[in-house]
Amino acid sequence: MISTFALDSTVLQEGLCTTCGACQGLCPYWDCVKGRTITYFECQRQDGRCQRFCPRMPVDLKALMEKAFPGENIIPEIGPFRSLLLTRAADPDIRAGSQHGGTVTALMELALREGLIDSAVLTKSKNTLDPEGVLVTDPDKVRQCSGSSFQIAPALAQLNRALADDRCHKIGVVGTPCKTLALYKMRYDPLPDNDNHAGNIGLILGLFCGWGLDWDGIRSLTEKYADAGSVTHADIPPSKYHSYEIRAGEKTVSVNLDEVTPLVRNACHYCADMTCEFSDLSVGGARSKDGWDVDKGWNQVIVRTKLGQDLIELAKAKGVLEFKEVPDTALDKIKSASSGKKRTAMRYLHEKYGSESLGYLQPSADWLKTITD
Amino acid sequence: MEWTTTIDAPGKVCLMQGNEAIVRGAVEAGINFAASYPGSPSSQILDMLGKIAEERGFYAQWAANEVCAMEACIGTSLANARSICIVKQNGLLCCADALHCGAQHGVKGGMVIVTSDDPSAHSSTNEFDSRFMAESADLPMLEPTCAQEAKDLVPYAFELSEKLRQIVIIRLTTRICHGRGNVVLGPLPQKPHQLETVSEWERLTCVSYRHIPMLKTLEDFREAFEVCSYNSYEGPEKADKLIAAAGTGVLYAREALRRLNVQDQVGLLTLASIWPLPEKTILKYLRNAKEVLVAEEVDPFLERNLQAIAGKNQLTIKFTGRGDGALPRVGELMPDYLMSAVSNLIGRPLPEKEEEQEAPLLERELNFCAGCPHRATFYLLKKALKRSCTKPGVVIGDIGCYIMSGQEAGHYAYQACNCMGSGINLAEGLGQLHRFGMDQPVVTMCGDSTFFHAALPGLVNASYYHSNMLFMVLDNSATAMTGFQPHPGTGITALGHKVEPMSIRAICESMGCQVTEADPFDTEGTLKILEDLLSQKGLRVLIMKQACATLMSKRHRAKRRVYVDQTKCIGDGCGCDRFCARVWGCPGNSWDYKNNKAVIDPVSCVGCGVCADLCPAGAIQVEGGDENEQA
Repeated sequence: MISTFALDSTVLQEGLCTTCGACQGLCPYWDCVKGRTITYFECQRQDGRCQRFCPRMPVDLKALMEKAFPGENIIPEIGPFRSLLLTRAADPDIRAGSQHGGTVTALMELALREGLIDSAVLTKSKNTLDPEGVLVTDPDKVRQCSGSSFQIAPALAQLNRALADDRCHKIGVVGTPCKTLALYKMRYDPLPDNDNHAGNIGLILGLFCGWGLDWDGIRSLTEKYADAGSVTHADIPPSKYHSYEIRAGEKTVSVNLDEVTPLVRNACHYCADMTCEFSDLSVGGARSKDGWDVDKGWNQVIVRTKLGQDLIELAKAKGVLEFKEVPDTALDKIKSASSGKKRTAMRYLHEKYGSESLGYLQPSADWLKTITD
Repeated sequence: MEWTTTIDAPGKVCLMQGNEAIVRGAVEAGINFAASYPGSPSSQILDMLGKIAEERGFYAQWAANEVCAMEACIGTSLANARSICIVKQNGLLCCADALHCGAQHGVKGGMVIVTSDDPSAHSSTNEFDSRFMAESADLPMLEPTCAQEAKDLVPYAFELSEKLRQIVIIRLTTRICHGRGNVVLGPLPQKPHQLETVSEWERLTCVSYRHIPMLKTLEDFREAFEVCSYNSYEGPEKADKLIAAAGTGVLYAREALRRLNVQDQVGLLTLASIWPLPEKTILKYLRNAKEVLVAEEVDPFLERNLQAIAGKNQLTIKFTGRGDGALPRVGELMPDYLMSAVSNLIGRPLPEKEEEQEAPLLERELNFCAGCPHRATFYLLKKALKRSCTKPGVVIGDIGCYIMSGQEAGHYAYQACNCMGSGINLAEGLGQLHRFGMDQPVVTMCGDSTFFHAALPGLVNASYYHSNMLFMVLDNSATAMTGFQPHPGTGITALGHKVEPMSIRAICESMGCQVTEADPFDTEGTLKILEDLLSQKGLRVLIMKQACATLMSKRHRAKRRVYVDQTKCIGDGCGCDRFCARVWGCPGNSWDYKNNKAVIDPVSCVGCGVCADLCPAGAIQVEGGDENEQA
């Protein structure tokens, strides 16, 4: 199918696009404005990187995972698995500016400083809104990208530009599950006559993700409850709090989650990955018996590959991360939550495509079924 | 070419274009005043008149629009001036009110309107048959069949106009305007027509009690046309098969009769006086006829009126022509159509046609010229609309070169396009619907010449009523589509005099509009400006300033060399897919199919360099020349 038409008709028009940016920064046809992927003109190629990389184009997750993680222990519910850790940045300055424990910031700084990567594609937002992808080569600039936004930025557009430049050869990427899936598609399903310099992609650090929010919706909500210009942090505590918290200046506003749920990006309902299975290691907010007040200063980390493990060990050796004991029940809790997201995605996909089809996940249908049954 | 229009050599034979012949006719008639607004196919007439006006002692003007031109002519008639107003079909329609009122009060000095119809709409948006305007306004109309008649009918029309104190219309069609033929020149007057003092009690006023005298005048014209020597008949004395024709129809019918060798069987009645029809003359031939084929351009006007004459006189005649499908209902007449219709008329099969040897021409869509600023404007508008709004923008077109933006050249820019100057009004209406929840951006545009022609009242309206819309003036400093005639923004007149140009910006601002200017060749900056304006509310005016590429090459701007670095070009690879040649679509961006790479056609390229900014591979290079250099 003609490339722009393929994505436009099967992803954009269907409301599946997360604006990860994988189709962007490649050509004059695709672009993104405020969380909205747009196509300006029609490209008439039959095949192209945009449709190959798009994480919402049909994919056999099991086959890709086996190809990408040979020899790794794959836990069906959460993907490749070496270990589960609870960590936080040792540097309190990093923790102060970060979403939870600052693990991602600490690791990316370390990776850059130690030359594990020569650059990093990160996401930078202002007041938790309007995030954008940035290419960072200076380790000291990593912490400017600390903290999360619930808007998904098309950061892979930035990556694609950096790959085309071919000046950085070990580019680390931090991303949500949709983005890192696209990265593995770049690596393992390139266009035959254009490898997109995917060999320049280095460490892939994934982020746990429940869903992203509609760009305009969360902006309006933020403006409704706070002076949007002074917001420094936004977070969703464990489900029993049923709230969305906005920190602006000294004040933290707690918004009933019911106001936020309708703003969940439609595309995110069709996502079957909570733990960012396609990554070297993935990081999320900690959940433990210590309770939210403690947990919100910690991360949980799934180490998935040797590269991920090497980085963790380096962090340990350099004293960049602090570790604490992982409760026995933690892994089961993650597996259960992750299966829950898979089930939800399948329900949404069946609602959309009928009981016989899972849409873009149809090639993965048998596998997903065995996980969720 | 102008020497043929001014040489004093009665009897000399000159090869002339129809438009040129009209000019010669006007000079022979000793006109005092000429006014027009450019419109194909008759744009050249005032161009030529302007060049010889001062030598021949008359005044010529490119008016802001046809209404200005026509009413100015009516005004000069009061002082006994002989005036000629030249319009195309759409221009005549613009003047409908002036024409009908003018008909009612008549004229003093002779006044002739030359209107040109464009069958098949070669240079127009639509076909129209201006003969209906003559019928509707009760005005006399003449139609020449060749350049000689085009010349001769002008003095004849002036004489009748003065004798019967009424406006006379001459109808031309594209082939008559542009076709060439030998013209025997007539004598030139020693000096232009004598002006007269306008006396205190002279009146040219449109009042209802003038209706009956006007109809009486029309009957006087009918009588005059009974003896009009330009109406003619050729063929057998009594023909039961008759062709009645006018304009090019006469030429094609004559050719068909000759090729079928039936000149002695079928009569050919040529009617130069189109309205009112000389009934007695016509009846002379209708009474013998059993079957009549009518050959005319555009609508079955003669056909219906001849049917009426036959009906009124209880004649039983079968009429064929454009009305019954014997000739195509729309589009220009062709000699082959007449061959087929005449064969049917005489009941003989059409002789077999020789196979055409020539390869058919490639079908091509109309496109903006190489380096045309409109290409950049519509490229940016498409992008800006997609960027600024989740819903599609509503874009209204207008008349000028930029009408091509409705096709691939402008990425199918607009949803609606009506007549000249209508864009701002269509948009104005849409721009009021925001109060009922319409939240799509509304955009319209017009060129600089159209701005002066018909957009001004619309802008007053849109500004006064705070319409929610973006109005773009595509200022390329030219009436480009019709051939660079001056307009009030250019600072030049039809006579070639330099005058103070009018500022579009100042005019808009004086109407209370917020005005922004942008250069469509600054693709990055102008995209931001467009996006910004599209996100605002209320009436916004954006003047896109960049000179017409043809105008620039006419002025011999130092040309820059643009070329494609073949090592960088990625051709139809992922990341480009022939973006320059296929999407940007400038005729200068050509394609080397052998190597599957972009190339610049050095003949077409004017060196604007915009494609270099857009090339996704950075393969297009620009060398030499100063981009800001103006001759």
